[in-house]
Amino acid sequence: MSPKLSPNLKEPHLIEYGDSAILIQYDLGDMHYSKPVNEAVHALAHDLQLSGNWLEIVPGYDSLLCQFDLSKMSLEASKTLLKKQIKTQKPKANPTGNIIEIPICYGGDHGPDINAIQKTSKLSKKALIELHSGSTYDVCIMGFIPGFAFLSEAPKVLHHPRHATPRSLVPAGSVGIAGWQTGIYGLESPGGWQIIGRTPLKLFDKTRTKPFLVEAGDQIKFKPISAKTFYEMSA
Amino acid sequence: MIEILNGGTQTTIQDAGRPNLRHLGIPASGAADKLSFALANWMAGNRWDAPAIECSLGGLHIRFKSDTTIGLAGAEMWAQINGQNVKNFTALPVHKGDILTLSFARDGCRAYIAVAGGLKLPEFMGSSSTYLPAQLGGIDGCALKTGDKLTISNRPREAPRAIPKGYTPALSRHIVLRSRPAPEWEGLDRPSKRHLFVSPFHASAATDRMGSRLRGDKITMEKRLPMTSSPLLPGTLQIPPDGQAILALVDGHCTGGYPRALQIIRADLWLLGQIAPGSQVSFRRCFPEDAPKILKARNSFYSGLIDGFSF
Repeated sequence: MSPKLSPNLKEPHLIEYGDSAILIQYDLGDMHYSKPVNEAVHALAHDLQLSGNWLEIVPGYDSLLCQFDLSKMSLEASKTLLKKQIKTQKPKANPTGNIIEIPICYGGDHGPDINAIQKTSKLSKKALIELHSGSTYDVCIMGFIPGFAFLSEAPKVLHHPRHATPRSLVPAGSVGIAGWQTGIYGLESPGGWQIIGRTPLKLFDKTRTKPFLVEAGDQIKFKPISAKTFYEMSA
Repeated sequence: MIEILNGGTQTTIQDAGRPNLRHLGIPASGAADKLSFALANWMAGNRWDAPAIECSLGGLHIRFKSDTTIGLAGAEMWAQINGQNVKNFTALPVHKGDILTLSFARDGCRAYIAVAGGLKLPEFMGSSSTYLPAQLGGIDGCALKTGDKLTISNRPREAPRAIPKGYTPALSRHIVLRSRPAPEWEGLDRPSKRHLFVSPFHASAATDRMGSRLRGDKITMEKRLPMTSSPLLPGTLQIPPDGQAILALVDGHCTGGYPRALQIIRADLWLLGQIAPGSQVSFRRCFPEDAPKILKARNSFYSGLIDGFSF
């Protein structure tokens, strides 16, 4: 075990992904999310991206996809390069250094599923909002489509399974819960997450110089706002 | 200028795409069949990666507003100019007022029309490629439709040219893809590991630039473990709970939550763009030491013709 890693962080496995990519996979044991692992993923992603040696560097919650140019580098050489990087990687608590505040209007039309989560968590709406907006979340993955932000674990009492049948349309900016995950829909899309609120901010806007509001490796904090503020901000 | 009279089933503008943005959730997009696209541009005398028209399945009608030359490549779609049959994989002179029609795809899914000088379009993150789910690239991020107009660019170019013998790819409705294991391959049960390579699959109607749902033998996992969303690449075969495999294509999701069984080798990725609904799809194993050799041979063959091209 490398001394650079925190004591309970095991060396990741390097798994071949086809002929021109390697998946760095961390072992979480029985856990579904580990903050030190996710920080290690983003620290690696950040430095590998800067090295310019890779075609795509795509972080997951507990894994990192590294695609190399097979016409210039072999699978073995790529593995060696990654092993070296993992050994010497310095941990970074907040890899990009950004903490972004996301205003969110909880409940009502913007959060149609808040009642269901109030029931299972036995929390008042106020307590639920305080709990969900009380933590700082890591932006773990961007995607599956542009602007969707997969965030780190929600407080345990808020965990809730997805809808059995996904909604055919979830509005852009909707904030939801799926199992232990919480996340934000960047674009209007079909989806099965339990929607508890909505942000008036656009997570993805192709007309902005910086189209993305957040990126993987950032941290975000939710700030509760009223429906009135929501409409003022989205006007 | 080119005027779209009928956009057909789905016609988009594509170039070499916008790579290295998957960490932002943006797939590279670009021409689904990179080889036919590059050949179309080469014949028109363009750089291989100039924006061109990609027509899926057929039905495209366009009118030229000036004299120019086009390169036509990809799936055979019974192309006609003013009602006269023209040959696929050729450079074709067109005149002001000429109407080009593509009927329906016979031996693949996508045809490419490159115009001498290339097409002039705004770029998003370095590319004009259309990505429909987020409305990026092309004209307002949409598929081409009746009334759209495309401006021809006047970049310095070579004279139009004919493809030398041996460089035209053979397309068919039976697509054979060579593959290597993807991360969850070991989790498949024994019969499924065998079925994947011996039984043919058929691309269902749910086939587009994002992916192709395959019909065929049910593929099952030894033990289905809950999976956390993890990165995904074009050319990955995923196994959802119903056992009907999904092949991710050029606009495919950047992350997914289904087990990843196989990954198509890089040298064969261009073929994914020619999978049409109803195509037969077969998978073959590729030895680890062969994949780089196949790529090297294919690259040196085509880069001898097309400057700067690689699979």
